[in-house]
Amino acid sequence: MNELIALMVIIPIACALLLNLFHKKDNTVKIIAIVVAIVLPLIPILANFGLHYFGGHAPLITNPSLLEKVPETIANSSLAIFHPAVTYSYEAIQKVFIFFLGIVAFFAIFTSLSQNKKISGVLMFLMFMGTAAVTALLLSDDIFHMYIFFEIAALTQVGIILTSKTDNNYETAFKYLILGAIGAPMLLVGIGFVLGIVGSVNITDIVYAISQNLVYPFSHSLLIAFGLIFFGWLYVSGLPPFHTIKANVYSQALPNAAALLQVFTVITFIAFGITIFRIFSYLPFFKTLVLIFALLAMILGITMAIMQTDFRKMIGFLAVGELGYIGLGFGLGTELSITAGLFQGINEIIVTALLFIGFGTVLYLTKTSDTRKLGGMIEHTPKLAIMILIGGLAMAGVPPLNGFQSKLMIVQAALDSGFPEIAIIAVLISIVTFMVFVKAFHSIYLKPKPNNLKVLNKPVPNSSIIAITVLLILCIVLGLFPQLVTDSISQFAMGLI
Amino acid sequence: MELYDKIVNSFKGITSIKEKVKDDLTTNESVSSALAAELVLISTLLIAAIMFRHINIILTIVVVLGLALILITNMPLIPKLIKEQSDSLEKMMFYVILTLGILITIIYWGTI
Repeated sequence: MNELIALMVIIPIACALLLNLFHKKDNTVKIIAIVVAIVLPLIPILANFGLHYFGGHAPLITNPSLLEKVPETIANSSLAIFHPAVTYSYEAIQKVFIFFLGIVAFFAIFTSLSQNKKISGVLMFLMFMGTAAVTALLLSDDIFHMYIFFEIAALTQVGIILTSKTDNNYETAFKYLILGAIGAPMLLVGIGFVLGIVGSVNITDIVYAISQNLVYPFSHSLLIAFGLIFFGWLYVSGLPPFHTIKANVYSQALPNAAALLQVFTVITFIAFGITIFRIFSYLPFFKTLVLIFALLAMILGITMAIMQTDFRKMIGFLAVGELGYIGLGFGLGTELSITAGLFQGINEIIVTALLFIGFGTVLYLTKTSDTRKLGGMIEHTPKLAIMILIGGLAMAGVPPLNGFQSKLMIVQAALDSGFPEIAIIAVLISIVTFMVFVKAFHSIYLKPKPNNLKVLNKPVPNSSIIAITVLLILCIVLGLFPQLVTDSISQFAMGLI
Repeated sequence: MELYDKIVNSFKGITSIKEKVKDDLTTNESVSSALAAELVLISTLLIAAIMFRHINIILTIVVVLGLALILITNMPLIPKLIKEQSDSLEKMMFYVILTLGILITIIYWGTI
């Protein structure tokens, strides 16, 4: 049993609780936060692949001595295969995602600590707790456990918005909670239906029960469960009709925190997406539904992004639109498309974090995010502007950057699956993403500087420059050597199908 | 006097329009953005509608032509879309409940 698997979740939770206690003791908070943030991406590298059963309760079939002692009716039934405890599964795919989550979490925490005069133990608590929650989402093989950790992640997101002190942050947080009060219970009721039918909330058990016809796969209860869980998935991942509130959530948080919030969303989207794919992909209309919502997210996200005048909202809507590409991967349902979708997920995590932290420097210097009031920033931060430009090119899918590789794979997968229309739409949306980025870049950096724009007479924090540089290097490395992550992802995708 | 009042009122209307325009400046950027968004919306929806060919060719022709007619006759679409996609709680709740209703209806009764 590999204890490091459970520690990936336990360490950030313990750190979060400690930091909350040490609130106002700035140096202590800073030291603990930095040390744990460095440890976060290291644990997935050190941990071995395998399963972790909480309480050591492995399935009966793995313990022959115990299996002999139970009555034959149980030993010969599927109960012997079922998982009695919460199970964490750690494989190559989890390793990749938890590593990149750790990297972005580190930079979000690092930049937040160095840019804010007053170090908030509460904000650190929320960031670490959210990181722990989404790590658990990735590891867990238990759908109810996933729901619990999603709720924790949702509450930390609300908390992060509340700490931002921007205008209307309370209103946005309240709206998110109200919409969550519709989406989350539906997800829970769906899980309840599945539990009622199968008798287990372990995903492997549910898949086994359905595939072995222990339950009727097209029963009405299971269909309703799919409908409710699918609706819950739309909520957790910010797909339409929840895209507006998700983009608002990003725009109301501080840029460093927003960089982390979008990672939470992408990972939640992927964790629940994989779960739903594993359980319900046998339904004939499953892929069509996923494709419809993925396309809607892309179209609505990009059309809303291009009309925004606030650059934080622009990136927020772009991030929602990019989620559609990951959805296309699941919707097309081939090995190549799922690999491409998950690779796109990793790229989105890196690129959107880069853009949030990068444009966050503009907010830091000018205290405004309204592109109509900005301009001429290239004279203040020329090198940073070029790095952000390359980040934007990566998001738009310009070769040889990482976004190009994943989007090209999606286009290829769509053509191979007999959907050239989807390939055309993917290319079109990429072009408009480029246009949105150029519009934002021009308004902030290249347009003549407005006379009334006041720029702080101090340099951009080094922490931001380091974060942007490292994220940019990752964009280039993954663009040139995509096989570094696609190899492990494609193995997983093969197993999924 | 009636004619005089009408003329005065029309002047008032013009002044209020000027004030409106002053509040919401239309720049090259906003016009090109709106045009691009409009074109993207129409083209992507029409291209997506072609996927009905997997069900039936005649249905695809009807849907694409019908959709094109609806979209073009309702131009400009973007101001309407932005109004509907605002962050007002009522509108968001409306679309959330509508989606839930449609989703459950299709999944439950669509497969019986």
